[in-house]
Amino acid sequence: MTMAIKNWMAESKGYPLDVMISVVLVFLLSLGFIMVGSASTDISARIYGDPLYLFLRHSVYMVISFAAAGLVLSVPVDAWKKTDWLWLLVSFALLIAVLVPGIGRTVNGATRWISLGFMTLQGSEFVKLFAVVYISGHLVRRRADIDESISGFIRPLVLISVLVLLLLEQPDFGASVVILASVMGVIFLAGVPFRHFIPVISVFIVATLVIAQWQPYRLDRFASFTDPWTHQFNEGYQLTQALIAFGRGEWLGMGLGNSIQKLFYLPEAHTDFLFSILAEELGAIVAAAVIIAFAVLVLRGLVIGRRALDAGLEFHGYLAFGIALLLGIQSAINIGVNIGLLPTKGLTLPFVSYGGNSLIVSCIVVSILLRIEYEVRASNIEPTSRQKVDA
Amino acid sequence: MPVNWRVQFVGLIFILLATAMTARVVFLHIIDRDFLQGQGDARTNRIEKVHAHRGMMMDRKGRPLAISTPVVSIWVDPRQLDLQPATLAAIAGALGISAVDLNNKLEQSNSRKFISLLRRIPPAQAEPIMGLGIRGIYFEREYQRFYPAGEVAAHVVGFTDIKDKGQEGLELSFDQWLQGKPGEKKVVKNLYGEVVRDIKPIREAVAGKSLTLTIDLRLQYLAYRELKSAVNFYQAESGSVIILDVETGAILSLVNQPSYNPNNRKGLQLGHVRNRAITDVFEPGSTVKPFTVAVALESGDYQITSTIDTNPGFIRVGGKTIPDPRNLGVIDLGSVIAKSSQVGITKLALSLNEYDIWNMFSAVGYGQSLESGFPGESSGYLPNRRRWRDIERATFAYGYGLQVTPLQLAASYQVIASGGIKNDISMVRSEVGRGQRVISATTAANLKHMLVRVVTEGTGKRAAIDEYSVAGKTGTVRKVGKNGYEDTHHLAFFAGMAPAERPRLVGVVLINDPKGEQYGGGAIAAPLFSRIMSEALRLLSVPPRQYNEAA
Repeated sequence: MTMAIKNWMAESKGYPLDVMISVVLVFLLSLGFIMVGSASTDISARIYGDPLYLFLRHSVYMVISFAAAGLVLSVPVDAWKKTDWLWLLVSFALLIAVLVPGIGRTVNGATRWISLGFMTLQGSEFVKLFAVVYISGHLVRRRADIDESISGFIRPLVLISVLVLLLLEQPDFGASVVILASVMGVIFLAGVPFRHFIPVISVFIVATLVIAQWQPYRLDRFASFTDPWTHQFNEGYQLTQALIAFGRGEWLGMGLGNSIQKLFYLPEAHTDFLFSILAEELGAIVAAAVIIAFAVLVLRGLVIGRRALDAGLEFHGYLAFGIALLLGIQSAINIGVNIGLLPTKGLTLPFVSYGGNSLIVSCIVVSILLRIEYEVRASNIEPTSRQKVDA
Repeated sequence: MPVNWRVQFVGLIFILLATAMTARVVFLHIIDRDFLQGQGDARTNRIEKVHAHRGMMMDRKGRPLAISTPVVSIWVDPRQLDLQPATLAAIAGALGISAVDLNNKLEQSNSRKFISLLRRIPPAQAEPIMGLGIRGIYFEREYQRFYPAGEVAAHVVGFTDIKDKGQEGLELSFDQWLQGKPGEKKVVKNLYGEVVRDIKPIREAVAGKSLTLTIDLRLQYLAYRELKSAVNFYQAESGSVIILDVETGAILSLVNQPSYNPNNRKGLQLGHVRNRAITDVFEPGSTVKPFTVAVALESGDYQITSTIDTNPGFIRVGGKTIPDPRNLGVIDLGSVIAKSSQVGITKLALSLNEYDIWNMFSAVGYGQSLESGFPGESSGYLPNRRRWRDIERATFAYGYGLQVTPLQLAASYQVIASGGIKNDISMVRSEVGRGQRVISATTAANLKHMLVRVVTEGTGKRAAIDEYSVAGKTGTVRKVGKNGYEDTHHLAFFAGMAPAERPRLVGVVLINDPKGEQYGGGAIAAPLFSRIMSEALRLLSVPPRQYNEAA
């Protein structure tokens, strides 16, 4: 066993964790730490009377996240595989609990939070992970059913759809999109026959239209993002303020701490629109680097998933795909919203934005990915070392 | 088993997404930046006014009459103010009011965006509140006008309004000169309107120019004190005193009663603001008699020794009887002035060219604007008739049927004092102009001698000063009421000069409607003239008579 670790260390050039993911994480987490500090001071001073209030809270979340990440790193991936259905139950429990009057807390018209005293729990963040864990396990267990019949394919999707309906009840449209897209992506990457997708995609299109009809404020948001400047005093306000931040940034930014948009012009400057403030203060080059970092993270996740499948670790592979998709889709939507390519959604930028739930779940998720990579690497090495022992 | 192309396909989607986003980010940062920055600046950059220092007003010796001092105004935006009891208590403590009062004040007006907490307090007093650093409280640095001489110079100096614009007096007429040009600076504001940082000054504030008046504050205080005590003593309706410098025509002192405190104009009565010496007109009465005599002397038909028969003490003109107080008999021209004989002046007037008296009055400034620069200056009223009836000629010659301001009266006596030269009356030092001869030097000298006799032997004895010779003329005018001239309401005048040998100062004293037994110019205005002039001459170090005689 010690030999195994030594070889494995040698193969990974001395690093116990995947180098590429580690570098990206250090970059994004430290950038986020700095930018939350910069973007939150004025808001903290105004609302809480202490300019460091939100920054200190974020620091505590960082510590909690690292602890959670360390814990998750030490859990074998098989533990998730054995309990996938349990996490689905936890998801239902969380999403139903938040809708119970007296438990759920409503902020800005959305009931997403359960108070834990020192912080609030945002169930939807955890449900993202749990849904992906569940679908990966289900794909392994019922692969034959899924490939065989359309009903086998639909059955897990019904469960996921109920989750999504509960999310829409909050409402949390952003999380719904992320979960649905990630789950569908995992099923697609798992190689499920393409013909199964056609009815499902049709249902999605119809459902989207119905939702747009049912909750027309989404249409307003949609209209505002295509032409924010004609709606700049109502629906388009936030986006115009975000775009101005980019214009101010130029190549190298206005300098750390010098954002004007964070002076209450841009709402959610430290959370959903932190990327805009980052672009304003640090410029186009750093903003582009953040996009590239997320792209690297996603591609690396896909590669790890592919290797896992090659090594015969099915669950590992699907979960890696799911994690890559979760992080990729959420970051793409967040950045897309910030730069005016997508309508406004309440989604944070993983690792970067302020917010305890988002940060903790992002760190847990990426730890699982690191653990998968570690186990895949170990599985490739073990036979070789055994051969050496035999020899 | 998974298909490899599916992973590659998803990977490709993310690569394309990342590429598109990077392109978009660069587009926004670089290509679209002029538009976006313009939009941003339009929302965040504001132009702030920088208050300019208003010019100082000083008396002729540089003593301050109007000063702009830096002050701080405190505003509060109740929507932003966190109404915690502790915050309220801190603000109230710094303001020196009770927290309950402050809370009431804020609650009464919590729908408004801005409430003025304190206006224009000294910076030292504002500092404790500024130091609290409470959000929602704003400070504006501006200047406030302060008038050190208070009510004493109020009518001359005037005052400014809350926006630092001149409203009265020289503050109004020299507003352009005194006011600075406010500057502008570009600042960045946050969404709540708080200035985050200054970008650059667009225009520096230019301070206003200072203004030196001809007023001598010592004479101003002196005249004010004496006038106020006289008006109080006689329970008069109002009063004015003017002192002119003979040589330059400069106004050394100009005071009125009632006056007001320009530093605290609460409950201000409009009547008190009026600069009566310049805006109000009166029939000058006997005080114009010397100019009627001047016409006689200049006509060549009369000498200083010429006599007039005033028997039997009255004269009938056009069905009206014009009386003297008693029958003065045959008197010379000097006595006509000294005894203020109506009969003598009437006879004189009727013997002269009917237009010449009008011309003389006009030449010494009656009915003409003095161009003193005071707002609301009156030109008086000099009726210009094509045909003069005899009664009109007579009454006009002894000062009825025309209206002058006290300042015009002073200006006309300045002509006699300066030997016949009319100087422009000025209020501001740089404005001293050249004079213009309107009466011959001989006539002026003769008039002056006659005016000396008014004080030595005539109606103006109480104008005399021990150390200086005085020349002057009393005037007692019945006021015009609803039913014509009233018997019980009078104006008491004294217009004169000192020292008579070589006049330095011309003074006019007017007491409007004194109550009591005595009401005449000789009884009321003359002693006031004496008190003010004797003190004024001493203050100006004018050598007294004994010194002149010894030399």
